[in-house]
Amino acid sequence: MRKELNQAAPQKRRRNDLLLLAGILLAVAVFALVYTLTRKEGGYAAVIQNGTETARYSLSEEQEIPIADGETVTNLLVIRDGKAYMAEATCPDQICVEHRPVSKAGETIVCLPHELVIKIVASEPDAPDMVV
Amino acid sequence: MKRLIAALLIAALLPGLAACKPGKIKYTDYSFDFFDTATTLVGYADSKEEFDGVCAEIKGLLKEYHQLYDIYKRYDGVTNLCAVNDLKNGVHQTLQVDQKIMDLLVYAKDLYGVTEGKMNIAMGSVLSIWHYYRTEGNDHPEAAQLPPMEKLQEAAKHTDIEKMILDEENSTVFLADPAMSLDVGAIAKGYATEQVALYLEEKGITGYILNVGGNVRCVGSRPDGEPWSVGIENPDTENAETPYIAYLHLAGKSLVTSGSYQRYYMVDGTRYHHIIDPDTLMPGTNFRSVSVLCTHSGRADALSTALFSMTYEEGKALIESLLDAEAMWVLPDGEQKYSSGFEGYTFE
Repeated sequence: MRKELNQAAPQKRRRNDLLLLAGILLAVAVFALVYTLTRKEGGYAAVIQNGTETARYSLSEEQEIPIADGETVTNLLVIRDGKAYMAEATCPDQICVEHRPVSKAGETIVCLPHELVIKIVASEPDAPDMVV
Repeated sequence: MKRLIAALLIAALLPGLAACKPGKIKYTDYSFDFFDTATTLVGYADSKEEFDGVCAEIKGLLKEYHQLYDIYKRYDGVTNLCAVNDLKNGVHQTLQVDQKIMDLLVYAKDLYGVTEGKMNIAMGSVLSIWHYYRTEGNDHPEAAQLPPMEKLQEAAKHTDIEKMILDEENSTVFLADPAMSLDVGAIAKGYATEQVALYLEEKGITGYILNVGGNVRCVGSRPDGEPWSVGIENPDTENAETPYIAYLHLAGKSLVTSGSYQRYYMVDGTRYHHIIDPDTLMPGTNFRSVSVLCTHSGRADALSTALFSMTYEEGKALIESLLDAEAMWVLPDGEQKYSSGFEGYTFE
């Protein structure tokens, strides 16, 4: 039955084949685009205080992280859209707050007055939610 | 054919659409106002305002518990444990106390039995001596000294928990030995953490994890349904290579770590920490840290303290006899030992 139908309308068959091909290509393109846009970033923002790494936060999770020096919270690190930036700081110069968001391995934000460095590092095991 | 293309397109878009759904944001809050320790609150919320609102409730409760359970200081209008410890004309007074105090004392007395006396809140007389020498030693490191053993032994004669007279019906406490006093440091933080968590659970709040000075308690799981991940700190705090010695997956459980690296002072180059063995009256030297996993945070707190003053064999026998508890011990050489079910919670 189908064979007969196809033979009966070869031109229509070719048009449908092309449509199908175009459809698949379009679907793949849309999928690739969506995947790229929503893909989880592999990187981490490492918090380095006085030269020692004290914590590591996944860039794939939206979060706000207060950073304390002893018992005083000095900076607020924010992770949004796979990028890390300093939203607030108690330092007088505010250089770290004005720094552009970072997301690529090796990029850093430095808060000199608080001897604090935010450094983007490549994928590693997930940072724990809590440390005890 | 058109239908097929449409179906393909939808199939391609679906995962994208799902990923675009706005997620909750993870927030963290630090405070240093309760139980002389650091409190970390982590939670998932739709907005900072929502998170701050929940934190304010948590801190309000912690403040209340902190004031009630404070043995060093009194507060206006609050009958707390400091008042219970105070003497009037050389004797303790029978005091009517808040239900939150009575509940803690009853719970602590029960755990005295469970831990075979290794967690004893009636040890205030001994612990206050250590507290004094530790504070002095940290303030004047060059003159740091150990408390004289005769002094400790004299104080140890006044640590009988049976002389803590509780009248639950009238909610009164009386310490029948004038030389005794209460020190709830081994259990109060964990007990308060548990009560705060229960309050949040009753309100239907989920997606939070609390850490009050080493007492970790999960409130629900993360919004993605995954359990919480908790890293146990390396007792060798200067080791930058291995910051955590174990990772655990927790859901609706408590984890408490007691460590000799947390609160201590140095005498002649030797470290003396704050967990005092009721039998030797000295800080236990068997472990660098002990972590206990169980449902009730107060129970986990008390057990971790008790295990610190036992041998590994004694502690393991105790943990295995309890249905809901697991433990990890870190020996002085860094070796890690586990109860039979502990490794069921760990991951690489």
